[in-house]
Amino acid sequence: MYIVIVGCSEAGYYLARALVTSGHEVAVIERDRHRHQLLTEGLGIVALLGDGADLETLDKAGVGRADVVVALTGVDATNLVICQTVQHRFRAPRTMTLVKDPKNEPVFEELGVDVVVNWIQLALTALEAGVPGHPLRHLMNLRQPGMQLVCVAVPPEADIVGKRLGELQLPPNSFISLVVKKGGADLPSNHYLVEAEDEIIAVTSSGDEQLLYDILTGV
Amino acid sequence: MRILIYGWGQLAASVVRDLAGKDTEITVLGKERSQLERLSSNPGVTAVLLAEPVMQDYLLEAGVSHTDAFLALSDDDHENLLLAQVARQMFNVPHVICHVESPQLQILYTTLGLNVVGYSRGIVQDIRQVIDA
Repeated sequence: MYIVIVGCSEAGYYLARALVTSGHEVAVIERDRHRHQLLTEGLGIVALLGDGADLETLDKAGVGRADVVVALTGVDATNLVICQTVQHRFRAPRTMTLVKDPKNEPVFEELGVDVVVNWIQLALTALEAGVPGHPLRHLMNLRQPGMQLVCVAVPPEADIVGKRLGELQLPPNSFISLVVKKGGADLPSNHYLVEAEDEIIAVTSSGDEQLLYDILTGV
Repeated sequence: MRILIYGWGQLAASVVRDLAGKDTEITVLGKERSQLERLSSNPGVTAVLLAEPVMQDYLLEAGVSHTDAFLALSDDDHENLLLAQVARQMFNVPHVICHVESPQLQILYTTLGLNVVGYSRGIVQDIRQVIDA
């Protein structure tokens, strides 16, 4: 595969190295003169000095024959412009990028970027999971603005333990989608009896997450 | 009419002066306090100071979900293009206008159906006409 990476700080650098190792042909576009020099002279990576949002630079890097273009400039807006330029000005190779603002993920997908890695969201999920107790964990943003999938483990002392799901008064846009427990998972019906340490996976809107959390964990 | 403007420079200032008045409610989002204060002295104009980087939540907070128009008028083409497309795709804002300086990007995003405004393409053509004449 021929892969062009735009922007070569940490993510771009390690990706380029990994792809070269697995036998791919890789070219990097880097705007910073100093970093460009290090890449080509010190690390033996094929790198082009230039602005990767610029049509001529992309052309010079051979995007026209690339299988994949990865935009890793570190700026969401610039990454989007690069992906869209590549999609519409070349013979549409696969486009991939990282987004910082978790809420940009669905927009990028809707605008046709093939792979959108929501890295702050991934980090948040891991960090939230590491906080002792029963935090509300964000699993993913859904395509509808403001809607997300979250996960809450029910503390043993919570008020809802021993109640049926149907008795709960959930916020209007919140739905319990799955209950995960030691033995496996349950598609929850209104009759389901909540047990301590059940992991409840729910869809909710951004404004209601606190309310949902209080209902699921309140004492 | 509710209008949300991202931008605080000369272009945004001219547009605000032109649109401000009765029947318009303008919110300007920007990154420079002194410029925003000047803009908010116009009737019916509220200014909101943003931090870097601009996140979607700022737009939501400023009322993008019930605005009639969103104008991206900053001098950062990429930022304008991202926010304008967020307003259009995610919040279905009825009128979205995006300022773009790069002639290349003006052409691309016009063909993608975005309402693009910008002088530079015209200037390039004007200069060519004078030189060629």
